[in-house]
Amino acid sequence: MSVLAAEWLKVRSIRSSHLIVGIGLGSVLLAAGLAWMAIGMYEDASPSMRRSARIAELEEVVVIVPQLCLGILGLVSWTSDRVLQTSLTIVPRRWPVLMSKAAVAGGLGLVVGAVTVFGTFFLSRGMLAGRYPVSGFAESWPILVPTSISVAVFAVLGVGLGVIMRSTAGAVAVLVGLVYVIPMIGGNLPEPWSERLGSVMMGALPREIAGASLASSVYGELLSPVAAALVLAAYALLPLLAGAWLLRRRDA
Amino acid sequence: MIELRQLTKRYGDTLAVDELSFRVEPGHVTGFLGPNGAGKSTSMRLVLGLDAPTSGQALVNGGRYADLRRPLHEVGALLDAGAVHPGRSAYNHLMCLALSNDIGARRVAQVLELVGLSGVARKKAGGFSLGMKQRLGIAAALLGDPGVLMFDEPVNGLDPDGVRWIRGLMRGLAEEGRTVLLSSHLMSEMALTADRIVIVGRGRLVADATVAELTAGYPSLEEAYMALTASSVEYGAAR
Repeated sequence: MSVLAAEWLKVRSIRSSHLIVGIGLGSVLLAAGLAWMAIGMYEDASPSMRRSARIAELEEVVVIVPQLCLGILGLVSWTSDRVLQTSLTIVPRRWPVLMSKAAVAGGLGLVVGAVTVFGTFFLSRGMLAGRYPVSGFAESWPILVPTSISVAVFAVLGVGLGVIMRSTAGAVAVLVGLVYVIPMIGGNLPEPWSERLGSVMMGALPREIAGASLASSVYGELLSPVAAALVLAAYALLPLLAGAWLLRRRDA
Repeated sequence: MIELRQLTKRYGDTLAVDELSFRVEPGHVTGFLGPNGAGKSTSMRLVLGLDAPTSGQALVNGGRYADLRRPLHEVGALLDAGAVHPGRSAYNHLMCLALSNDIGARRVAQVLELVGLSGVARKKAGGFSLGMKQRLGIAAALLGDPGVLMFDEPVNGLDPDGVRWIRGLMRGLAEEGRTVLLSSHLMSEMALTADRIVIVGRGRLVADATVAELTAGYPSLEEAYMALTASSVEYGAAR
């Protein structure tokens, strides 16, 4: 517990963490801006076009912002710690340091994820209702919950990547690759590989967990809810465990 | 007490520490001397379990450092005064370290007072001079009131006032019965501070004696050091 308290203070006592969390939370405003633009387009459209107007679920569009922010927060908690050697000296068993960093980043990720995803849901639905066909809370919450959790998964993934790569730039590149580049490449692969790769991408997992459709996206929908939940957990845990293993073997 | 037994560390082809054995006893300041690259810092890292020895042992109070649960209470170390986050205040820096070893805010305030940083405790460490960072590093080493202390070149960057302060602090800590290992390149300062001297060169033990013994055959500690390490200062030379 004492190591956890130390790592929590490390994050709290740095201004850049406040900035990163703030940008993540600010994604709600980004979604509001997108909704406002969509309303403007609706108002300018002809009655026939209005009847066929559709809009994507904004919380699933902008969640990439808190995902990346928390992923970066997680990885810099390792790569830019600055007192890491001192911490590893005064906590000779190294895994508590790693697990505490993962717990702090993951906990913050859960809070930021829930606030942004649910906040965006209610704000954007409130703005868009009456113009666009929007889903209600009862049918949406099974998607909103794993989408919120995916932010925490990114945070823990960031910690794992930070330990493994020991380089901020390298780990950021991997994070951006996972969120953006690989899904884009995957979407252009020939079938069945496009569908297969698209099904294990982070962006596909919340809807697969909820058993919802992903037909109009670059993602696939091959996984069962349980399999998708396991893949989501693996994104967080496999790099972390690999990092813990490396930490035991190499010099600090 | 710190004890090195046949301690060896190899990084790839480089033999950084080569079957090094010596003991650092409590009650006096032991100076740790040697040319750059002689293995002083590596030896300290091995004692602190930051690197794993290739062979041999480094013991603190008879046990392995890595087995200590709350090591700040037994060993305090200053290896790198620059190891502070520039955006974190001196107080929070020490709190981050103290919390992990169950040390409270009152002790943090005490050590800040002791090293003379109370007035800038809430200032960001990024704005500190090297001398102030050295004081902050010494404060961190003293957090757990440990019986064993290791300082790697703590005098660097300190003003004359600070150098004199460190000398008094080191001697005072040793007089309280603590084990103090102090590395430095400032021979005249070392002659004033240390009672015993351990000299290493190319990872091997060159001398382990009292200051009085070393200076008996030479005009000064500096002359003794130069003579003893003359064959050890071939930087990067093939062994």
